[in-house]
Amino acid sequence: MFELFAQSAFSGVLAGAYYALIALGLALVFGTMRVINLAHGELVLLAAYVAYSAENKLHLDPLASLPLAVAVVGLTSIAVYGLLSRIKKDRELNSLILTFGLGVIMTNAILMIWSADIHSTSVPWHHDAIILADLLFAMNSEVFFGVAGLVVVAGLWWWLEKTWYGRALRAVASNRDAAKLMGINPQFTEILSFAVAGLLASVAGIAIYSAKVIQPSLGHHLTVKAFIITVLAGMGSVPGVLLGGMLLGIVENLTVTLASSALQELAGMVLFLVVLLVMPSGLFGRVRRRG
Amino acid sequence: MNKLKIPAVLVLAYLVLPLAVNGNDYVVSLIVAALTIGGIALAWSMLGNLGGMVSFGHAAFFGIGSYASALLTIKAGWPVLVSMLFAGLVAAASSIATMPALRLRGPYFALSILAYAEIFRIIATEWKGLTGGAAGILSIPRLPEIMGIDLGGKIGGYFVVVTLVIAMVGIYAVIRRSPQGLALKAMHDSEDATRVVGVNATMLKALMLVVSAFFAGLMGAFNAHYINFLEPDYAFSGSWTTLAIVAAIFGGYRTLWGPLIGALVVYLVDQLVFKAILPQGHQIILGALLGAMVLFSPTGLTPLIAKLTRLQRKETANAAH
Amino acid sequence: MLHINGLTVTFGGLVAVSDVTFDMREGEVLGLVGPNGAGKTTLFNAICGLARPGSGTVELMGKNLLSMPIHHRARAGIGRAFQVPQPMHELTVRENLTVAQRFGAGKVDKAKIEELLDVLKLGHKADMDAATSLALTEQKALEVGKALATEPKLLMLDEVLAGLETTGKRAFLDTLEEVRKRYRLSVMIVEHDIETITRMCPRVLVLNFGRLIADGSPDQVFNDPEVIRSYTGGEPA
Repeated sequence: MFELFAQSAFSGVLAGAYYALIALGLALVFGTMRVINLAHGELVLLAAYVAYSAENKLHLDPLASLPLAVAVVGLTSIAVYGLLSRIKKDRELNSLILTFGLGVIMTNAILMIWSADIHSTSVPWHHDAIILADLLFAMNSEVFFGVAGLVVVAGLWWWLEKTWYGRALRAVASNRDAAKLMGINPQFTEILSFAVAGLLASVAGIAIYSAKVIQPSLGHHLTVKAFIITVLAGMGSVPGVLLGGMLLGIVENLTVTLASSALQELAGMVLFLVVLLVMPSGLFGRVRRRG
Repeated sequence: MNKLKIPAVLVLAYLVLPLAVNGNDYVVSLIVAALTIGGIALAWSMLGNLGGMVSFGHAAFFGIGSYASALLTIKAGWPVLVSMLFAGLVAAASSIATMPALRLRGPYFALSILAYAEIFRIIATEWKGLTGGAAGILSIPRLPEIMGIDLGGKIGGYFVVVTLVIAMVGIYAVIRRSPQGLALKAMHDSEDATRVVGVNATMLKALMLVVSAFFAGLMGAFNAHYINFLEPDYAFSGSWTTLAIVAAIFGGYRTLWGPLIGALVVYLVDQLVFKAILPQGHQIILGALLGAMVLFSPTGLTPLIAKLTRLQRKETANAAH
Repeated sequence: MLHINGLTVTFGGLVAVSDVTFDMREGEVLGLVGPNGAGKTTLFNAICGLARPGSGTVELMGKNLLSMPIHHRARAGIGRAFQVPQPMHELTVRENLTVAQRFGAGKVDKAKIEELLDVLKLGHKADMDAATSLALTEQKALEVGKALATEPKLLMLDEVLAGLETTGKRAFLDTLEEVRKRYRLSVMIVEHDIETITRMCPRVLVLNFGRLIADGSPDQVFNDPEVIRSYTGGEPA
């Protein structure tokens, strides 16, 4: 029994780091623009498909396709910003509908370009198992991206807290007009946040392609996961995203172990609703009313 | 002009259209599907326009309505039309579970309703004893025969759905003109002003949610008896929500007829034109449409047309001088 | 009929209303004056529910207002007109009054609405959009009209005369006097113009830095040294 618990906790932690990768871009854009980008999951998926094409056409390892994915997804992400910035009124509502529409476009574009078949990497290393302490089982790619998730979260946190760009970003997030007076160009920082969100989505997409299977309808699912984690984290908290991702990962894995895999999603959704309704500022967020 | 509008719509709906398409089962079934989506779009718009809330989970109420009605007829042996009405009530009751979400705003509300829809879908899948699980329910009773018209047939189904949506528009019109509807409309931009004159906004929003869920559930119930088959992934499918949102935004979710017109245009064009051009991924055009509407005409098609015709009339009037 | 006891409202570290205590009789017309930032509007907000007091009590005709949500206070008898007119957007003038009546007074009485439109001289614009088609005087009239439609016991007017030129002001004052008599209202007025206050209010309260520093007839109050000091910019003694 202990082995089962330990294994599901371990898998949960690894899954959590990978979930955090998916959610970071969404959380970053929400932090700077107060906009939930409902096409974020599709951006992640796009990166995964770029990795798939790079592997099959250019014979690149998924990890080596990162620059290509960043180029494609980063530009797409900036294009999403370009459209969003054209919204004149009712930004909160219209940005939801617009990004929802963009998500539909991207899902269908992926379907048209890459067909409905499911894919995963055929580079064997990614799927090879490693066993830690004679007890815990994982695939190489899961461990790799679990660690990568930690590094990226730490990197993003450092960037936001310690560099001038990061500070400008946070200044715009907390008070756009005051930031303008301080000489920060809010438009530039917003583009920057979308570009960085594209970078984060690329890493996440390659992680998914390496460790899981992809199919065109996955994007929407990823957006929902990202949103759930962002809510668990509390808006605006980068370390919170990591903890929120891990919480979700562990809860899902324990549900599979203790109950059934059919209830995995249910557990995540219930956790999300409970936190959303009971703890208005998330588990790890600063106090901020959401209502 | 306005007095002629209602009889004109009725003649069109009950005489012209049925006569024009009767016999072409394919077109009739497309129109029925479009009106079903139109009904959800209307229900969605009631909440969006008057409640000021975007829901990404109306499939939840649609799915609950379809299952409730199917089960009431099969397991309890109720008459179909009674079950449909009751299923609407069940969906309305289920919306009470989602009411804590009314405290939330914008994206939080939108996505929490989506979470509810997911939860309901999983329950429908896992509660095999009641719902038959993922295998679904087969041979759901058809709509009955009334006064010599077989409502279970294609054209009969059309008459039922068209009656439902026209009744919905009528009720919606009454709600919009009621003090409650006016107060909700005013809430958008004048929250404090509305509250200090005694409006309990939360309660009114909750009522709108219940009404909206009732209508979405009613459409689900109709669809279950029209299609005669249900499975969780179909009844709770996100595309019920997606199509309804596209239709409502396209037609103008703040207008009375916009959601219905939007559904007819969007669904028929999608199925008859886009699907022929792009067999795979034709919904890409729906996404593009949605984006274009938000960017260029956020109030939707119906107000846009109204504006254009007004302009034209003004021009003709000017030319006459 | 209105009892306010020890009312204190703070925003963060700032004390906007500090330990204010006074009573108001039925039918009284009470002026509330003080320099900018003295806490007049905050006091209004605390009474009608838009600000949450840290301590103190507010009772209207025996009912504890502070335990009520905002929307119950209109039913309890509070009618509030804002300094910057806040018509309910997207509604016509008549719809504004209808909504206020339905929810604030709990009834639908079309004759009463017509009467209000008539008294406030808004009849010719009754079916126009309230947010976009009214002149300033008319916006102010509608602002008062919304409060009246809720059938208040206590009408709270927050600088409803501000921005009007002399003739408009005089006409509006006459209208206010007419509605006050007709509906037997108690009135609380925030106003900068001392002449207006002297003409309308037998009793005046002065707030400065959130504290109540004077309470009496206009004569007494405006000759009070502390009040004079507060208007010339001194710190409270």
